[in-house]
Amino acid sequence: MVKAVKHYRPPGKKKEGNAAKFVTRSQALKQLQINLPLFRKLCILKGVTPREPKKKFKGTHQTYYHVKDVAFLHHEPLLEIHREIRVHERKIKKAEAKKNLERAKRLREKTPKPKIDRIIRQRYPRFVDALGELDDCLSMVHLFAALPAAESKKIDIECVHKCRRLAHEWQAFISRTHKLRKAFVSVKGIYYQAEVEGQKITWLTPHSLQQVVSDDVDVITMLNFLQLYEPLLGFVNFRLYHSINLKYPPILDPRLEALAADLYALSRYANANVNAIPSVVNSEASQVAESEQGDAKPKRDDIEHEKSELRLAQLQHQLPTNEPGALMQLVEEAASEEEEDQDTRECKNLFKDLKFFLSREVPRESLLFVIPAFGGIVSWEGEGAPFQESDQSITHQIVDRDAQGHKFLSREYVQPQWVFDSVNARIILPTVDYMVGR
Amino acid sequence: MSPKKQNEEDPHVSDSDTDSTYEDSSAADDDDGDSFGSPSESESEPAAGDDSEPDEHGESDSSGLHQEESDSSEDEVAPRNTVGDVPLHWYDDEPHIGYDIKGKKIKKKDKLDKLGSFLANVDDSKNWRKVYDEYNDEEVELTKDEVKLVRRLLKNRAPHADFNPYPDYVDWFKWDGAKHPLSNAPEPKRRFIPSKWEAKKVVQYVRAIRKGLITFDKPKEEDGPYLLWEDDSGLTEKSNHLAYIPAPKQRLPGNEESYNPPLEYIPTQEEINSYQLMYEEDRPKFIPKRFTSMRSIPAYENAMKECFERCLDLYLCPRVRKKRLNIDPESLKPKLPSRKELKPYPTACYIEYKGHEDAVTSISVEPSGQWIASGSSDGTVRIWEVETGRCLRRWDVGEAVNCVAWNPLPDVHILAVSLGQDVLILNTHLGDDEEQKKIKELLSVDTSTPSDDSGNSATSVRWLQDDKHGGIKLKFFKTVTAVEWHRKVLIHHLSKKLTQKLPFKLHGLAVRSTFHPSRSIFFICTKQSVRVYDLLKRKLIKKLDTGLREASSIAVHPGGDNLIVGSKEGKLCWFDMDLSSKPYKTLKCHPKDINNVVYHRSYPLFASCSDDCNAYVFHGMVYSDLNQNPLIVPLEILRGHTSSDGRGILDCKFHPRQPWLFTAGADKLIKLYCH
Repeated sequence: MVKAVKHYRPPGKKKEGNAAKFVTRSQALKQLQINLPLFRKLCILKGVTPREPKKKFKGTHQTYYHVKDVAFLHHEPLLEIHREIRVHERKIKKAEAKKNLERAKRLREKTPKPKIDRIIRQRYPRFVDALGELDDCLSMVHLFAALPAAESKKIDIECVHKCRRLAHEWQAFISRTHKLRKAFVSVKGIYYQAEVEGQKITWLTPHSLQQVVSDDVDVITMLNFLQLYEPLLGFVNFRLYHSINLKYPPILDPRLEALAADLYALSRYANANVNAIPSVVNSEASQVAESEQGDAKPKRDDIEHEKSELRLAQLQHQLPTNEPGALMQLVEEAASEEEEDQDTRECKNLFKDLKFFLSREVPRESLLFVIPAFGGIVSWEGEGAPFQESDQSITHQIVDRDAQGHKFLSREYVQPQWVFDSVNARIILPTVDYMVGR
Repeated sequence: MSPKKQNEEDPHVSDSDTDSTYEDSSAADDDDGDSFGSPSESESEPAAGDDSEPDEHGESDSSGLHQEESDSSEDEVAPRNTVGDVPLHWYDDEPHIGYDIKGKKIKKKDKLDKLGSFLANVDDSKNWRKVYDEYNDEEVELTKDEVKLVRRLLKNRAPHADFNPYPDYVDWFKWDGAKHPLSNAPEPKRRFIPSKWEAKKVVQYVRAIRKGLITFDKPKEEDGPYLLWEDDSGLTEKSNHLAYIPAPKQRLPGNEESYNPPLEYIPTQEEINSYQLMYEEDRPKFIPKRFTSMRSIPAYENAMKECFERCLDLYLCPRVRKKRLNIDPESLKPKLPSRKELKPYPTACYIEYKGHEDAVTSISVEPSGQWIASGSSDGTVRIWEVETGRCLRRWDVGEAVNCVAWNPLPDVHILAVSLGQDVLILNTHLGDDEEQKKIKELLSVDTSTPSDDSGNSATSVRWLQDDKHGGIKLKFFKTVTAVEWHRKVLIHHLSKKLTQKLPFKLHGLAVRSTFHPSRSIFFICTKQSVRVYDLLKRKLIKKLDTGLREASSIAVHPGGDNLIVGSKEGKLCWFDMDLSSKPYKTLKCHPKDINNVVYHRSYPLFASCSDDCNAYVFHGMVYSDLNQNPLIVPLEILRGHTSSDGRGILDCKFHPRQPWLFTAGADKLIKLYCH
């Protein structure tokens, strides 16, 4: 029950002006009957920010919220859920104090979980709105993907894994659809800019080193944000994968996943499925099928084969297997290119006939993302690589330190910066300036 | 295992010893309550332990036993205080600290003063283990073992080193070989048949499950993402919530954030040191660094902090939608036509008319445009042919000429010259015979007619026949600075040889005057304002406020509704008389005095000349549509004259037909600028 705070005013005169429109934060807390941390969390989730009244009637040091904003929070079902959670926590505490661990465990399992999807829909009524505000979300998810899980800092391992998965899924989509436009290596990390549905999305990924969780940040606040951003990116990814006829969440090759080549596994998944699913699922959209009627037969076999293998992969994903099967053949892209804009086509064909090999010591994750996004084929040193260093068709080898071993004359040895510069310039730059040691 | 039991089992413990000192122990316990390092127990303890404790006790030692044994050795120690647990400050003022066991007073010991005790302590290497026992008023020195014991206690361990808190369990009961069972009762039946009550309970549960009263916790299904934005129809439903303001995006990184920025971005060591002196808020957030290769980039230490700060910005900063006009400032400027479109206008000097020996003060162009008259301060008036620059005629008037003016009628070639207090009206002898005849008639003054006829005007002007130059001389009582001709109305009615005096009172000194080009309206420019008079109705029509300090010249547009006023502070005011009595536009173009301003008769041009030796040519288009304001475009700056005596160009006139400009300079030259 919202009880408006009463100020003195002459009888018969209505409250008006700033005092009627705005309340201070403490007043808002009183009206909502919640504590400050929960209020902050709700503000973060609902996107409610303080307002600047024209006249700060309670002093300049106060934070003011609009009455309508407070009412907006008050109608939020999440408020009720959080009250329930509090009650639940009290019950758990009581059960634990009575050494009734069984009950405590059961209660803990049954703790209601707040659902964010409705809030996301409310905040971003259109998909484009969500894309427009994805910058902070992506930067944060990428940052958390690089954080060490620390019990003391309340960052649990599941959260980090989830962030990593979401980040890779996003990158796989961008890379697969060639939506990446720019990349910039800075001291803070690598900035990427992609253009999805006309929205320019810029995000920062930290360098692939372990980040340090400093003590002067309030991790709770960041986790509150993450509580919004994680599902948001999940929904956005779902929608994006849906738009290119892929199943979400994707099923990954466990072997590659184990080798920390998630991104590569994802892009292979994407490549394999983009061609498979439209011809099977959208069979009622017969024009697609008919256009591919000529090679439908052999393809169908391929698809069946692939399907079964996918299922196998799924099984293996669930079971801890020691001997993961080599799955998911890389199917060459069929000519199922819809209308693509000029920019995308240009990006797609930049590294078209080039084959890259990444040596040790180069930023692998970043290059595995960037090079395929511009149409190149890439492999790396280590297990699970699609081709070896000795492959004669490799045109460029990316090195960051003078190689002691055998040097192939048939390929160019360049620094990683060459890739980024070429990408930003949209031409294949001469490699002379990017030799190792320059 | 409790110590009591141990006592029962153990026959070795000397009962007598224990019993005898049992009472004392409690007293000793009380005594030690306050001071931890009391020697009563600790000093004697290890010794006692060693004496009476066999090895087997070492393992299962307990504090109780220690207590008992330590007490036994207490008797040997010197007189003990027996006051009991009373506050010791009761004895502060007494010479004794208490009573020993026999009831004798125990005297306080003499205390060393602070310095003495300090010196004693300094020399004593064992000082650190000395403890003062206030109760017994003595210093106790702890032994090594005691110190160890204290340390162990501090660590919350058992005081005795050999004590094992977790001994192996020893089962003392001998199970095998027992003849009789512990209980000889027969096995009850309930051990063999299913429980009735359990069965009842099971049935209850089964029924409840069947009825759906009991539900089991289902395995939790993870609700993953789904197609949230299936259709964008949510847009249509209107929420009465306040409009959401999206947060501004973060600034994109610049060159300085690169891992290998150009050298000029890297701050020197001095600069970095100077950052330390700054306030924390002013300090740059990010100091560029340079890494030669990508592999040497370390993890960014502030990544988490910056992300957190962004989070704070996102939810703590009030967002305000700034209403900012997105207008390109360039687009606000009026679109001026380019100068090329406004051609022709005078651009370059073509002819110089040389001959005057002093500054040319005034020029005037003949209405046909063939002749130009000039007056100079050397006392000559000359007539030049425009196209050739030939000096046609020359009068020596003997006095510095202020102003020359042609009659605007094309067939009456008369020139008015003002010099000092006189105005000469000269016959130029141009044109054919018939015209000459007319002019001669016009210029002949009937001397018999007294000039006083014309009433009050005669007081200031006299009409005289000037034989020397073949013209008329007008005598004024005051200096005449300028003369103007009008087509219809003459203030000096030449035909009647009469002069009208203006029936108006002038406020301030008149600087210049001019006629309306088509109507009988007369403009008089005083220093600060322009007055417009109707000559026929003889009344003031309008007063224009220039806002200038000192106006110097005035010109009226051929249309008659616009006029420009030049001032001595170099400003040029354009008046639109239909618009207001304030200047429509004020152009500050000349750094020095403007000497003359002039309109072209047919082209939309006007010019100003100034003492800074420059003449400006402007495009000044007046539209017949009253809604459209005049268009003023600066076109050209004409240079070429040189300054003499701080005076530059003294006069300028347009050619009546061509877009040509004549300028008369203080450097004795007249120049013609053509397009």
